[in-house]
Amino acid sequence: MSDVNYTQPDGEESFAKAAGKQLLGFGLATVVFFGLLMWGLQTLASMVGSSTVSAKAVDAENQSITIAIATEPPQMDSTLATDASSGMILGHVMEGLLRNSMDDKIEAAIAERWEINATQATFWLRDDARWSDGEPITAHDFVFAWRSALKPENASEYAFLLYPIKNGRAVNEGDLPYTELGVRAVDDQTLVVDLERPIAFFDKLVAFPTYLPIREDFYNATNGRFGADAWEMLYSGPFMITSWVHGSSLLLERNPYYWDQDSISLQQINIGYITSDGTAKLNFFKDNKIAFTTLLAENLTNAMAQRWHIERTQDGTVFFLDFNHRPDHVTSNRNLRKALQLVLDMEELVYKVTKLPGYIPGESLFPTWLQGVEDKFRKEYPAPELILDRDEALRHLELAKQELGIDEIPELILLSGDNPLSSLQSEWVQEVLRTKLGISVKIDKQIFKQRLAKMTAGEFDMVLAGWGPDYDDPLTFGDLYASWNKNNRGLYNNPEMDRLIEQAQNSVVPRERMETFAAIQQLLFDDVAQLPMYERGVTFVIHPHLKNVKQRVIGASTDFTRAYIDTTAY
Amino acid sequence: MTDQSLAPDAFKRIEQTAQIHGISRPSLSYWQDAWIRLKANRRALYSLYLVVGLLLFTFLGPLIWQIDPSVQDVDQISQPPFASRTVQLVPEYQPWYPSDELSGTGLNFVAPPTTQYVRLTWDKNPAATGGYRVYRNLFPIGVERAYGLPLKETGVAENFFEDRLDLKPRNYFYSIVALDDDGNELHDQVETIEGEVIRVMAPREAISRGMLDADEAPVFGTQYTLPLHPLGTDYLGRDMLARLMHGARVSLFIGFFAPFIFVLVGVAYGSVAGFLGGMTDQALMRFADFVVALPFLLFMILFKVVFAIGPGESGIMPMLLAMVLLLWPATARLVRGQILQIREEGYISASRLLGAKTNYLVLRHMIPNTMGVILVTITFAVPSAIFTEAFLSFIGMGVAPPTPSWGSMCNEGIKTMLTTPHELIFPALLISVTVLAFNLLGDGLRDALDARMRNRE
Repeated sequence: MSDVNYTQPDGEESFAKAAGKQLLGFGLATVVFFGLLMWGLQTLASMVGSSTVSAKAVDAENQSITIAIATEPPQMDSTLATDASSGMILGHVMEGLLRNSMDDKIEAAIAERWEINATQATFWLRDDARWSDGEPITAHDFVFAWRSALKPENASEYAFLLYPIKNGRAVNEGDLPYTELGVRAVDDQTLVVDLERPIAFFDKLVAFPTYLPIREDFYNATNGRFGADAWEMLYSGPFMITSWVHGSSLLLERNPYYWDQDSISLQQINIGYITSDGTAKLNFFKDNKIAFTTLLAENLTNAMAQRWHIERTQDGTVFFLDFNHRPDHVTSNRNLRKALQLVLDMEELVYKVTKLPGYIPGESLFPTWLQGVEDKFRKEYPAPELILDRDEALRHLELAKQELGIDEIPELILLSGDNPLSSLQSEWVQEVLRTKLGISVKIDKQIFKQRLAKMTAGEFDMVLAGWGPDYDDPLTFGDLYASWNKNNRGLYNNPEMDRLIEQAQNSVVPRERMETFAAIQQLLFDDVAQLPMYERGVTFVIHPHLKNVKQRVIGASTDFTRAYIDTTAY
Repeated sequence: MTDQSLAPDAFKRIEQTAQIHGISRPSLSYWQDAWIRLKANRRALYSLYLVVGLLLFTFLGPLIWQIDPSVQDVDQISQPPFASRTVQLVPEYQPWYPSDELSGTGLNFVAPPTTQYVRLTWDKNPAATGGYRVYRNLFPIGVERAYGLPLKETGVAENFFEDRLDLKPRNYFYSIVALDDDGNELHDQVETIEGEVIRVMAPREAISRGMLDADEAPVFGTQYTLPLHPLGTDYLGRDMLARLMHGARVSLFIGFFAPFIFVLVGVAYGSVAGFLGGMTDQALMRFADFVVALPFLLFMILFKVVFAIGPGESGIMPMLLAMVLLLWPATARLVRGQILQIREEGYISASRLLGAKTNYLVLRHMIPNTMGVILVTITFAVPSAIFTEAFLSFIGMGVAPPTPSWGSMCNEGIKTMLTTPHELIFPALLISVTVLAFNLLGDGLRDALDARMRNRE
């Protein structure tokens, strides 16, 4: 053996030291290795897919924005589209005769000017309107689209929106051939529509996606795949879909043939993510990957801490407590309903019970976003003021008992949805009526279909109901309590109400119509036909540099078509 | 061949002497020795204390802290530990219908802000032709002009506002932004006010809480103290401590019961395979390999479907079943290997030569000699089972909502991680500590029960 003098490590202590040193060495090496690995991968990724990685929420240099949508549109044939995603994208890539302006008015789009009278509507198309392949947009394209929307074999769910056109219903139900539809192209630039009966809001209907144009030769060339892919569509709007990766992303790029170029400033709208997960979208927004997201209640504090500009809007739906007006139910008594009206504080419901931000306590069946003559309907005709008063309520309750000839109000059945929010609300109604009026309430929780069936059969005293709009006119809410309306499931029957609704339906003078709706609003309040509970709302945040983004209740929402980037803004 | 003469003397019985060797140390059984060595291992010992403490927390805790874990204290929602608990008695809420002659002293609170309501009034602004928008923020308004949560758009004539939306006892910043005709915000026409909201309670609630007798005349302004929640409350105002105690039951039930059963199954299976050997062993072990390849999560979901357990219903039974059915092969393999090894040991052959029966061999020699391995497997299986339960509850496949479990509590807590971290930290801490304690204990047990380390001092 050699005579090397081994320095013997003296026992456990120096062994631990050596082991510690070695471990430290390994640890450092590992950290360095992973650091290098990460860096390498990052570099590699940036070299390979520069287009996907560089997507920023707002890119001022390329005038491009990135957003997320909740679901992928099933298809984009405007005559068949019913869902929100299709509506939103169609609003960006298509334009019809008329469109909703940024201040919720109807303005000229493909039609340069238009005239609507009691029997006929005439649209004069502008001659610089072009499809995205450069061909002119003609009146024939509208005739073709509207006819195909009404063809029974296409089974379009929104076909009823075209019923105001002469023979619309008959064509849709297969009683008349589609050539009998009251719409014709006088020449390439003039479209004439015969109306079934006078209608005051036909211009608002024409702005709806179901009224968008489709070019016949292109439609036929797609062999039934129209609207299924980016290249199976022809665009008339400010943008066109240049890439549609199913299940993943869509890319909208500026349409060079669009007539109103000056109003558009964005070059690109990149729908980079398709997810309905609110938290995921919030994180994308936080990481500056998307320019817009809605907020959930639990994210609000976070949003405030991030110093975001929170905004709110309504989704259009109105919720109310509906009564059963059938004579064999005590709720048919007006004084009883009045008593309920005087104790149910809908502000308490919204602020203390459901506690969801963006929701607006209900004051009227007509929601705040509805357009009136000049301004919002509710600004022109405010809802009747309700002053809660328990003593007054008890007085009405006594009157009700006398009129009904009973000593005690029997247990009322409250029909409710089976989701947690409905449970919360129905339990609140139960509690308030018990403590303030001594009325006991039985809650009947049902799934949606069963609830509708029970409502139709009249097996309830009160029901938590909601109503979403079909078009931007007070009539979509206003005719709910007509005795002939099938959705009037409480069978409210008031000749005065019927008279007012008929008046509103047949009048075409805006001022007169709105006066009528105001009278309906007052009558609903005075007669307590229903109790408005709240308007559903959403809170959302937008990238501070992105301006002029429009939220709509009807039509494309969220609308980025006229958005612009202002890097100087906060 | 050597010459060897066998005399009859050689076959004489040797007489027994009193003491051949002096035994210098007390005789120790296997378990005594293991216990001594476990005690010497400080880490393992502390872990043992922790485990015992955890068991006390779980089973004695609810007897001492008798708070129902599902009762909601709506006045103390997401309350961190040691938060103020005072509450003031005020009259019942009365709707507010302000008259026009509100004082003209700028943006001001009409009454002291309370959790019942915050009432604001401000001077009419001639620039506000489109009315006002009222904002509420939890943080001061900075240069970003982030006013916070928009609450209401009021009309031009409406220079007052009542906020009742989910008020908490804390500081709020209210901003009134004037709007122009088109509804655009005028950023130079903003007023902001800060107010500290105090917690109040109306008599009706005080009565329902038992702080006030129903026939007692309420004295408004009296201070009351709300119930104590030592670890705070969760997002529905439920007591965290009570929930952690009850949640531990679910976690420990799964944590002990599942490993106990599947280790038992594994031991039986493994010893049969190991002892019989040959083709039987081959067949049994290939089946075990097959079971190892089955994905746990998939089976968990399948069982949920088979048992018709919908979302929102407890998934504990399918979880237990999936664990028992799928996790035994690891133990079986271990035990089989051990038995195979022991089977070939000299003392087994000797025992056999002495005429020992199979039963005796298995019970006297084989099982006790694999006991160390089995115990160690159990102690390592416990934390992994607890962790699996926590993980499955976290992804929403475990217990149903009203029943607490550490995993589901983490799941609920993570949503408000940034604003009320205690809702996540406590259950997460308990999971970590439990899993760590069991792992360290298992480590210690393995060392202590290893017979070959017996003579190492």
